[in-house]
Amino acid sequence: MNTRKLALLFLLGSVFVPVSQAQIKHIEMRVEGMT
Amino acid sequence: MKQHLGRQSGVQKVDVSLIDGKVDVTPKEDGQIDPAQLLKAVYDSGVTVAEMDVTARGKIVKDSSGNLALQISPNQSFAIAPNDLLKSVASLADSPAVVTVRGELYRKPAGKQKAAASAPLKLLILEVQKKE
Repeated sequence: MNTRKLALLFLLGSVFVPVSQAQIKHIEMRVEGMT
Repeated sequence: MKQHLGRQSGVQKVDVSLIDGKVDVTPKEDGQIDPAQLLKAVYDSGVTVAEMDVTARGKIVKDSSGNLALQISPNQSFAIAPNDLLKSVASLADSPAVVTVRGELYRKPAGKQKAAASAPLKLLILEVQKKE
């Protein structure tokens, strides 16, 4: 039973990880008129 | 401006360098950040954005009109402006491959033309950092 749950967890993890890792990692702006 | 930006959703940290006129925004790990909203927040604080660069990880997809876009999440994607670097990732369109790119999302129009903060953002790829 536990093995089956672990296998399911692994399967779901491998499907969702690439999607959840897609993201904006960093934003850099050059601005004018800042004091 | 730092506080103004820090209040935007998905923002973890904001670093401002007064000397260089640079603003670094670190998004939250799992948060969704909206660059257009950040642009607006900067304009609202009375500062002009000359340029905005992003580093993002996502999939290359083709939209309904055949143009390529970088899809960050099911409801967030940026149209990609054509250049030589786009050709190097174009073959990955609609494949499960994930790419990490650094690109220019906004540049203030040259001359005295008024910058439109609400103009649609287009990603000009400057560097392809990773293909997975």
